[in-house]
Amino acid sequence: MRNFDYHRPTDIAAAIEAARADGAEILAGGTTMVDLMKIGVWEPQALVDITSLSELEGYDVGSDRITFGALARMAEVGDDDALKTAAPVLTESLWKAASPQLRHAARLGGNILQQTRCPYFRDTAYAQCNKRNPGSGCAALDGGETNLHAILGGSDACVAMYPGDFAQALVAFDAEVTTKGPGGARTIPFADLHVLPGDTPHIETILNRGEIVTGITVPVTGALKASHYLKARDRESYAFASASAAVGLDMDGDTVRDARIAIGGVAAVPWRARAAEDSLKGGPLTEETAREAGRIAFADAVPLEGSEYKIKLGADVVAGALMTAHARATGGE
Amino acid sequence: MAQTINTAVTRTDAPRKVTGTATYAADVLPAGMLHGALATSSIAVGTLTSLDTSAAEAEPGVVAVLTHETLPDYKTVKGFYAGGPGSASFWPMEGPEIKYAGQPIAYVVAQTAAAARRGAQLISAEYEVGTPNIHMDPADSFVIGAQGDNKGMVTTKGDIDAGLAEAAQTVDVEYTTPFQHHNPMEMFSATAEWRGDRLTVWMPSQSVRTLRGGIAAAYDLPETSVRVISPFVGGAFGSKAGITPYTMLTIAAAKAVGAPVRLIVTRPQMYTVATFRPESVQKFRLGADANGKLTAFEHIEIAQTSQFDAVVNPGTHITRAMYASPNIHTEQRLARSDTNTGGFMRAPNEMQTFFGLEQAMDELAHKVGVDPVEMRRVNDTDRHPVEDVPFSSRSLMECYDSVSEGFGWQNRTPEPGSMTDGDWLVGYGCATATYPTNILASNARVRMQGTGNAYIELAAHDVGTGSYTIFAQIAAARLGLPVGACDVVMGEADLPVAPLSGGSTTAASAGSAVHDACLRIARMVATEVTARSEGPLAGLDPAQVTLDDGVLRGPGGQSQPLVEALAATAAGEVEAVGEFRHPALTDQLIRATFAGGYGTAGPVTPEFAMFAFGAEMAEVHVHRWTHEIRVPRLHGSFAAGTILNRKTAHSQLMGGMVWGIGSALHEITEVDKPRARFLNANIAEYLIPVNADVREVRVEMLDEQDDYVNPLGVKGIGELGIVGTAAAIANAVHHATGKRLRKLPIRMSDLV
Ligand SMILES: Cc1cc2nc3c(=O)[nH]c(=O)nc-3n(C[C@H](O)[C@H](O)[C@H](O)COP(=O)(O)OP(=O)(O)OC[C@H]3O[C@@H](n4cnc5c(N)ncnc54)[C@H](O)[C@@H]3O)c2cc1C
Ligand code: SF4
Repeated sequence: MRNFDYHRPTDIAAAIEAARADGAEILAGGTTMVDLMKIGVWEPQALVDITSLSELEGYDVGSDRITFGALARMAEVGDDDALKTAAPVLTESLWKAASPQLRHAARLGGNILQQTRCPYFRDTAYAQCNKRNPGSGCAALDGGETNLHAILGGSDACVAMYPGDFAQALVAFDAEVTTKGPGGARTIPFADLHVLPGDTPHIETILNRGEIVTGITVPVTGALKASHYLKARDRESYAFASASAAVGLDMDGDTVRDARIAIGGVAAVPWRARAAEDSLKGGPLTEETAREAGRIAFADAVPLEGSEYKIKLGADVVAGALMTAHARATGGE
Repeated sequence: MAQTINTAVTRTDAPRKVTGTATYAADVLPAGMLHGALATSSIAVGTLTSLDTSAAEAEPGVVAVLTHETLPDYKTVKGFYAGGPGSASFWPMEGPEIKYAGQPIAYVVAQTAAAARRGAQLISAEYEVGTPNIHMDPADSFVIGAQGDNKGMVTTKGDIDAGLAEAAQTVDVEYTTPFQHHNPMEMFSATAEWRGDRLTVWMPSQSVRTLRGGIAAAYDLPETSVRVISPFVGGAFGSKAGITPYTMLTIAAAKAVGAPVRLIVTRPQMYTVATFRPESVQKFRLGADANGKLTAFEHIEIAQTSQFDAVVNPGTHITRAMYASPNIHTEQRLARSDTNTGGFMRAPNEMQTFFGLEQAMDELAHKVGVDPVEMRRVNDTDRHPVEDVPFSSRSLMECYDSVSEGFGWQNRTPEPGSMTDGDWLVGYGCATATYPTNILASNARVRMQGTGNAYIELAAHDVGTGSYTIFAQIAAARLGLPVGACDVVMGEADLPVAPLSGGSTTAASAGSAVHDACLRIARMVATEVTARSEGPLAGLDPAQVTLDDGVLRGPGGQSQPLVEALAATAAGEVEAVGEFRHPALTDQLIRATFAGGYGTAGPVTPEFAMFAFGAEMAEVHVHRWTHEIRVPRLHGSFAAGTILNRKTAHSQLMGGMVWGIGSALHEITEVDKPRARFLNANIAEYLIPVNADVREVRVEMLDEQDDYVNPLGVKGIGELGIVGTAAAIANAVHHATGKRLRKLPIRMSDLV
């Protein structure tokens, strides 16, 4: 690891000031940041540890909105009973992520900004990686192993997959992110936070240098209560999703009034499947319509070598998640 | 007191381990110690054309950067598969040649571990890059024996084609298994300190004598000038058996900088600087009559090896011992690719071959229409099918009967896909487990005091299995002392000879030497006390005095506890070196073990075939929507001779089965084909089972008496548990889904 300066400001203005400097990076729980520093992928000159900014802690489960401070821990939120009832998709996507140790260390602000697990990105022995080393090429697409890569949203420059779970719930339920930076405070729709790789896969979000995520807000909607996060993975815990779905249903009798679907483990950024949602609205939710929605969610998928299975798996996971959400919406669970 | 054997004794080293006071090799801090770090090659095949070390040298704290051009007095040893003590025959940093990805190219020494690692990151290398192949080409395979001859690597009995022709049903199938890495929790490390011509090496090791002998010979030093110390080992599984480059580089580096140096190999580097389980192809052609009785048995194993070694871990030697068949053909083949040399990994001959064998038997049973357990029963045999000697003991079907009953095998409906539980498809599968009983020479010294203490010393190792405890138990039982009064000292090459801890031999071989030392002590004490004028045994013929659970007994009912008799001797203390030399051990084998090698007699001797057996049953659930595969129940019954400690044995068997779940469903070292690098060289991405994957695991240990294997009647259990698990799970997946998956690991991607 390269030596670096360490700052731990106690007020947000000082944190922004320190974080806007060239070579400075923000540090929250460090489970992504320190990991990548140890293996030499990231070499910041300075770390700005924001964990003393107590105003970014905590969260609130309100009746029309749920708000999270950027420093709320994955574990405390994932284990919250009131939230489990109000918005199961939020707690489920958190406690099915990573391991208990990681969830205790990691903060929600860091969580949504976690990095891809592309093995070529993580191994500096590969000179080729447009994300780590802009313009160098892509080892994954140059004959490499692509079974863990994005089948939606990738580009010729990069097919890295966004691996996080919680972000799928946020994108499905119209969350917003609040920030403070050198240019002041702003509110960003969560769906706009991450940007597609295109020709510039090293640019991952619309955040500016020194801009600190202060919180996350999720509006309370009918579909949020009858929501579910289904995560398919080869081992029961402590594994990234092979495919996942964050879904919710608001039923009017037998008719779907509102449907939310986002799919994880398959796309370059948190991925809302709007066409699949639309296919359900105004109709009944049956095993058949659920399966059809799953298929539609993957209609545009471009499989890579080794990841063909994700199209069928992903569709099945969407359908299975919808069946659980339906049971929740109709009092069946 | 006698009941210290075959009971559940808690590990004597447990308090030290859980309180952090057990001193592992890397806990030692010689005065003035510096830290080492390896820089490794990014390419797999080619030549180093330039190595820029200037940035590393300029890094604060860096003391030296050593390369193939600047490292003085670096010595190497012959590879294991060429008859030497090394992990491989090719040694990095002897020249610019690169033969595998992750090959050490420079060694940085610094004042702190952080500076050394940073220095290693700052080294930049340029190469002339060749084209590597990381996967073997099974079509380009060859037969070879361990020492270059092909003796025993091909077996033919009867006529395999005739056997297939007369069969009512046949299978002709191929199974593949991937590269796997041991991933012991304790990192690889080596700490070396030179004092003049005397060298001390602290290193977690499965074979301190192999290390000492190899290092002393390499540096042309008398063995008395080299100390090798490895008191505890945090998991080894075969990965800490030989002398690796990181050891010899650390020794050379310590010499070069004139200070002790410690190297802790990083987790990603652990994937390339030592051994692994090579990938393999298992081909089976089996034929059976209408009752399932085998008419033909053919197994061809093709295993991967490096370009510079021939890794022969002959799995066909084990599979051919399993079932009776009039016609048998086996072949042991290798195919080369561009990796470091593989080696032993828990059940190195058995795990992958039984994934093939036991699925092939299941496939054949399914075709014939007999129950899979019955399939094993009709083919059970009390003689080795090829060598034609009886088994010293074989309780395979007792294991099946025991496990079937506890598991509820009779509830299985034969049709695949016929059992469900809510959204889950349910399958039951079974498989045979076995492990050969290896026999190696060993010594052990026992010193007993009339005050009631004993000290047991030998150059064996506790690789986390419980050896400290079972040696204390054996001595306690023989000498009539509490287990806590028997102190065991191990893990130093200067102690009496004991074999390499591998092949599940330590308890049987070294344990038998401890047993023998205790008998010698009894004889010595008896000789002295019978010569005295007073005492319960005075005047007896010492040859007529026997030791019985710590009590010396005369022919006429006279008796005296050994410890009391000892207290009455002149010195009040006695010391003896015990020996284990099984009649099947030839001089050559004994000498091989004394030289730090692996001189095993067995599993087949001219008189008997010696194997431990087991039967495993798995219940598998496959989810309707996610296709996830889970193992809610895994049961195993095992018969392995005398069980010395029911607690540590249970842990070994259970641990093997848990690892088997990983082998079946999780473990694979992913590879990047074009550049021949391992892609998931860390324990976040190299999946092994977590607690949630391990639900009900039940282990039964059956009583079995075997007077031939060794005086204790012990067969090895360290590897037995893993052997049948992957096949039992694969068979259960087939039963649940109707899909036959012939490759490891089995993933949900295979089931969508
Ligand atoms: C082995 C392993 C397994 C994992 N498994 C899963 C999994 O199954 N599912 C899953 O979803 N995740 C998983 N993760 C990822 C894990 O959830 C993230 O590493 C974690 O949530 C990051 O949070 P942190 O607080 O540690 O972030 P840090 O590491 O401190 O920061 C991460 C990134 O966010 C930036 N950052 C942090 N906070 C802010 C802020 N307030 N404003 C602006 N920028 C900020 C940092 O600069 C950095 O770029 C796993 C991680 C590991 C190491
Ligand atoms: S997919 Fe993206 S992150 Fe992975 S190697 Fe290619 S450019 Fe780098």
